[in-house]
Amino acid sequence: MSDALFRNEPVSSTPCVADGVSISLAAPLKRYSLRARTAEALETVLNAKVPQKIGATEGGIACLGPDEWFLRTAAETAMPTDTGLPVAITDISERSICLVVEGPRAAELLMTGCPLDFDNFAVGRATRTIYETVEIIIIREGEDRFHVEVWRSFAAWLWTAFTAAASH
Amino acid sequence: MILIHCPYCDEKRPEIEFANAGQAHVARPLDPSSQSDEEWEAYLFIRANPRGRHHERWRHVHGCGRFFNAVRDTVTDKFETTYKAGEPRR
Repeated sequence: MSDALFRNEPVSSTPCVADGVSISLAAPLKRYSLRARTAEALETVLNAKVPQKIGATEGGIACLGPDEWFLRTAAETAMPTDTGLPVAITDISERSICLVVEGPRAAELLMTGCPLDFDNFAVGRATRTIYETVEIIIIREGEDRFHVEVWRSFAAWLWTAFTAAASH
Repeated sequence: MILIHCPYCDEKRPEIEFANAGQAHVARPLDPSSQSDEEWEAYLFIRANPRGRHHERWRHVHGCGRFFNAVRDTVTDKFETTYKAGEPRR
């Protein structure tokens, strides 16, 4: 059976379109939390390059901390098991949802509740931060497009805050 | 808003991303059973409360998630320096 029948999203599936910015719910993604002492161990396990600098992204993998990476992928991916290396891979696909904030006012919208300077936030950069009181992960996908990862239980509040800010 | 330099991210980040975690460089006794009640009490509960330069643990909880040490002036609330956990006291 399709899991779409059972999927119950915490926010509206109808995008919120306001002057210069739109907020929409992204399609479901597979997400993995990757933890390892060294990037090399992770590269061996995944057979892919992983970014070393905190904030950098490469091939869908964002480096969030010195021993923490975050992989987002559209497709179902078979993750290696029993590698014998000190690496932890956890499926966290349903922990969060992704809101796509798009448009020339996208950075401005995020800055209504987050003190980071998104005008000077390079495309391709990712970071965990906080919007008002809600922890989020922001990935700048393009000049006018941000992906905001938020835990499901906080998503309804964040959606309300974003749509309220967008209409001002 | 105070900007705090995270030694792991190597950039200044807003204060609200951080959490204070008390006095730094409090080492747990290697052999707790050899401690007297007074020594154990001192380790568990007795903390410095200086006026001025204070070594503190901070955590970049809404960022990279790492604990690090900072030297903060308790009068002016200015951060003198921050350094990675495990590095010697500054």
